[in-house]
Formats: sequence, structure tokens, C-alpha cells
Amino acid sequence: MLNRIYDWIDDRIDITPIWRDVADHEVPEHVNPAYHFSAFVYCFGGLTFFITVIQILSGMFLTMYYVPDIVNAWNSVYYLQHDVAAGVIVRGMHHWGASLVVVMMFLHTLRVFFTGAYKAPRELNWVVGVLLFLVILGLAFTGYLLPWDMKALFATKVGLDIAESVPFVGEWIKTLLAGDEEIIGAQTLTRFFAIHVFFLPAALFGLMAVHFIMIRRQGISGPL
Amino acid sequence: MKRGKGLTFVGDSRVQKYDKPKLNRDYSEFPGRTEEFYPDFLLKEWVTGAVFLIGFLCLTVAHPAPLERVADPTDTGYIPLPDWYFLFLYQILKYTYASGPFNIIGAIVMPGIAVGALLLAPWLDNSKERKWTRRPVTAAMMLISFGIIFYTTWESVAYHDWETQNQQGQIVFSNLDTEDPVFQDIIRSNCTSCHGGELTGGSGPNLIEPDLNAETVQAFVENGTGEMPAFKDQLTDEEIQQVSEFVANLELTSEEDATNSTNDSDVSEE
Amino acid sequence: MSQKVTRRQFLNYSLMGVGSFMAAGIILPMGRFALDPLFQDQAEGSMITTSVKAEEITEEPVKVDFSFDQQDAWYESEVTDFAWVYRDGEEIIALSPVCKHLGCTVTWAGDDANPNRFFCPCHNGMYEKNGQNVPGTPPRGPLDQFEVGTSDGYVTIGERFANEII
Repeated sequence: MLNRIYDWIDDRIDITPIWRDVADHEVPEHVNPAYHFSAFVYCFGGLTFFITVIQILSGMFLTMYYVPDIVNAWNSVYYLQHDVAAGVIVRGMHHWGASLVVVMMFLHTLRVFFTGAYKAPRELNWVVGVLLFLVILGLAFTGYLLPWDMKALFATKVGLDIAESVPFVGEWIKTLLAGDEEIIGAQTLTRFFAIHVFFLPAALFGLMAVHFIMIRRQGISGPL
Repeated sequence: MKRGKGLTFVGDSRVQKYDKPKLNRDYSEFPGRTEEFYPDFLLKEWVTGAVFLIGFLCLTVAHPAPLERVADPTDTGYIPLPDWYFLFLYQILKYTYASGPFNIIGAIVMPGIAVGALLLAPWLDNSKERKWTRRPVTAAMMLISFGIIFYTTWESVAYHDWETQNQQGQIVFSNLDTEDPVFQDIIRSNCTSCHGGELTGGSGPNLIEPDLNAETVQAFVENGTGEMPAFKDQLTDEEIQQVSEFVANLELTSEEDATNSTNDSDVSEE
Repeated sequence: MSQKVTRRQFLNYSLMGVGSFMAAGIILPMGRFALDPLFQDQAEGSMITTSVKAEEITEEPVKVDFSFDQQDAWYESEVTDFAWVYRDGEEIIALSPVCKHLGCTVTWAGDDANPNRFFCPCHNGMYEKNGQNVPGTPPRGPLDQFEVGTSDGYVTIGERFANEII
């Protein structure tokens, strides 16, 4: 039955080649940990993607309780962590996942760097990868403020002051991020929320798609 | 691609109608011990992912995500600390030649060069050689950068006063009433910068938890001790007495009975 | 003859024109919306009376608190801030406690080794009593000053401005 449904769809839109390209591509021996255990370093990229998926899902669910408003933000986080079933786990996944993404991405970058995988013809994918790195750091920075607790507020103050020390445009950058020249308050939280939940994830999705499409087109780099 | 004659399409669409079976793999052009991505290799990746997930879930259960007390911009005694992956940058800003008049070097130039070099790595290191041992300069630069990040992060962690750090942000349920005139008029201007905005400790000790009596507090306030200055000359006797009674009266409470700002809009009673 | 615009070129230019119009029509309002904080005028502050008598101010800097109503977009709140105030001859000086490095809070004599300096615990920044940053420590400039006045014998605090006593 399922097969007939599949065939019916496939006859009309010809989807087989799309997923066959992914499913049937050859994975060479030198990246397969079953043959060379040291090849586990090639798993770092996949694991980064795995945690990113966890981050996206846990983040989506966190917004079911979270409100980006300075009066209620902390209370909503406190509530979802202490009073909602599995709240500890969901917020824990998002919190520790944020650290793990940074760690895994760093390891993945080191792997690509030391195996020389960024060399021609894969320069563009390396550039996209570095941009992804920056987007993730941006997500980490903006996400830190959202619980609106002491460390969030004061770490963000310091971060914004670093932004302010940029020559010429520093004060504009700070005002644009904080929403006000002086105050780090209601408008800062909503702006960081918008950046963390909409702007940067949009960039993240676009860059990840480009990253993966390029991997498929170019194949994985050969053995050393 | 063949066009026109001999091709059949699905209805009036542009999707080609295939007659051959959908499964036609031919690996003859890939010698060696390769394997197909699906299902052979994917299963291995998923097993790795599953092991990883078990560790990750254990972490989340063993260590709940930290949450400090609600942000209070007026609590100026709080010493900020960024998340650990920005610590190296925070530490670099402590060095003489990366701060003060050179702040721009530590805050913009050095990170800028690092990111720029990373972005342009394929063109800065454009030899054909891929093995890292055969391109010592590039590898050395990466190792040095890694070393700097590792060392400064370690330095920042090692020299930080974690006890104060953990105490100053703690969520504490106490009978502290921040609307009380004694707190508003005297304590907020004299005590909170060291003892924390909710008197739970900062550079000075926690005043909520210890079971102090009014005479002891009075003696401390009048004469000072250690780093604490004497307030004999700055506050009147009456004020000192008010402060002493206020502080002696402080104690931890249950979440429901708390009156401090942590429980401003009571979260447990919807 | 080479000046002749082909049909294809004409269509391309038209596409670019209509495309730019659509992009501008969408982005302009959103851009102005996002950039609004840059064009907001800062409200003029008035002098705030504190509870400290002017005659009580000595040459030793003390913390003087003041509070004011702060309008943060839709969120109104009473904010408490403080200044380090001391007497310099006839004049009363009020310095902002905000470190010029990264905005932490400085304390007077906060470091045992430097009893006559302002000290910032974040990166060990130091300032002389007049707010001058000590060379070789992280701050990028002297502490800001507050406008100071007296009203009925009480100290009043006004606008913050760059240090002028150095």
C-alpha cells in the first residue's frame, strides 16, 4: 500500500533521484570509523548538526512558556524550569546544548583545518563554515540575556560596552543592539529575542543549506 | 540529455516517465572498502549520535541549567562574567597592551585579525599540500591561537573568585523587604555594594543566612572589621540601631513566604 | 547601432527597476523601524535632590544615592543610581561610578593596596581621586562627572558629562 502511494507520488514529481543522491552516495574508507578508528574525527560535523537540531527543537518548545518582557521573563523561565514537567530537561538541553554546539563546532573546525580539507576546490564551503561559526557565536551571545537574571544582564552590559569600543560606529552598534542609548532594559530584551529567535536562525538555516549542498556536490575530501 | 523524440512524460508535465527499475546502483567506479551512505554508514552515525545523546541527557539531568536571581540593574556590586566561551576575550582585555589606550587592540583588532585569517585561510595557505605536518607555518599559527585561547580561558577560570561569583547571583528566598524604609534609606546606600543587592553576599559576607543578633551587628557597623569600614561617623546612633535590628531579623524563608524581590510577582501562585 | 537597446536588455532593466522598487518598498519601512533608537532624542534630565547635606561632604569620596523615574520605551520604573561625591576646596565634585573600561562599578579604596584610588573589580582598573584613569590599567579614560548643585543645603545631581577637572 505504502509502496503504491510512493509510486503514485513518484510518477508525478519524480522524487527518487533527490533522495537517492543522498542515500546512495559512496562513503569512502578513510572517513569510516569502522575501518580506521581515528576517523571518528569525521563525526564532529555530523554531531554539530545533531546538536543544532536539538537546539532548534528545544528552543521552539521553550517559547511555549517564555515571554521576552523584563517584568515576566525571569518568572517565566523560573516557572518552566521548576513547575513544568520535564522543564529542567528541556531548558537543560538548550543551555548545555549551546555550550556543546560551540565545542563540537570548534572541534569540527580544527578537523577541517588540520586535514587541509578547506583547500581548493572547497574554499567556499570553508568560508560558509566560518560564517556559520560567527552566527552560532551570535546566537550564544543573544541567548545569554534572555533568562533576564543577574549574570545575563551584567554579561550583556559588558558585551555591549565591547561593541561600543568599535571606532566610529561603536555607539550606533550599541544603540541598535540595546534599543536605547543608555538603558539596557525592555527594548534590549525584545531586540535580543528577535535576533536570537528569528534573524540569526534564518541566517543559520540558509548557511546550513548551502554548506550541505556544497558537500554533496563536491564530495568529501580525499584521504591524506 | 536527450530531448524530444523517444521521451515520455507524466501527463502534460515535464517530469520524465522512467521505465527502468528505481533501484539501480553501480559501484564499479568506486574501488576500495567504500559503503553506501544509506543504510550502512548512516547506521554507524546514528549509533554514535545515540551514545552522544545518552551522555548529553545525563548531563542535563545531573546539572540543571543555572538560573540566577532576577536581573536588578541597580545592584552595582555584582561582578559580571560572560559565558565560558567568551572568557578568553574577557581575559585578554585585562592585559596592559590590550586595554586602556590599547583597548581597541584587545577588543577589535585581535579578534578581527583572528576571524579574518580564519575566513581567508584557503587563500593564505594556498599550497596543494594537505597534510598539516608538511605546512608547518599554518599549523603552527593555528596551534598558537588555540594555545592562547586555551591559556587565557584557563587563566580567567583559575583566578576568578568562584565562591563570590556563585553567591552573588543565588536565588534566595528571604524575609527581606526591599520596600522597608530602613532598607530604602540606609542599607541600599551603605551596605548593598559589598553585601549584595539582596544582602546575600558579594565581596562582603552573606547577611541573611548567619543567625546574628542585633548587638553583634551593631558592633560590626560601628567599628567595622577586616575590609569593612566603620560607620560610626557616617550614620547616627539611631540609624545604626535600625540597621542592626533590620539585619538581625533577616532569615531564609520558604518560597511561599518570601518577601524579597525574587518573589515579586509570585510565580508559584498563578 | 551599438546604442540600440535590445528587447532582452530592455526587459532586464525593467526587471531591475521593478525589483528595486519592490525591495525598497518592503525594506524602507522596516529599516526605519529597526533604526528608530538611533533617532530618538534623549530626554533632558533635571536636577535630582539627594538626601545628603552639602556640608556633610568631606574630602573623602562617599556614595550618594539618587533615584529618578526612568522611561524605557513602554516600561516606566524608578531607578536608583549613585555617585561618588567629595569636596575639593569650595567645590563639590560628583563622579560617576561606571568604569570606563566595560561599564562595571568602581568603588573608592576597593583595593587594599591602593587606599586612595577608585578600583574596578572586573579587570583591576584604577582611577585617581579626580577620576583620572591610572595609566597601565584597563580603563580608556577618566570617570564621568555629574552636574552638581545644592538646594536647601542638600546635594543635587544632574546630567552626566565627560570629566572636566583633569
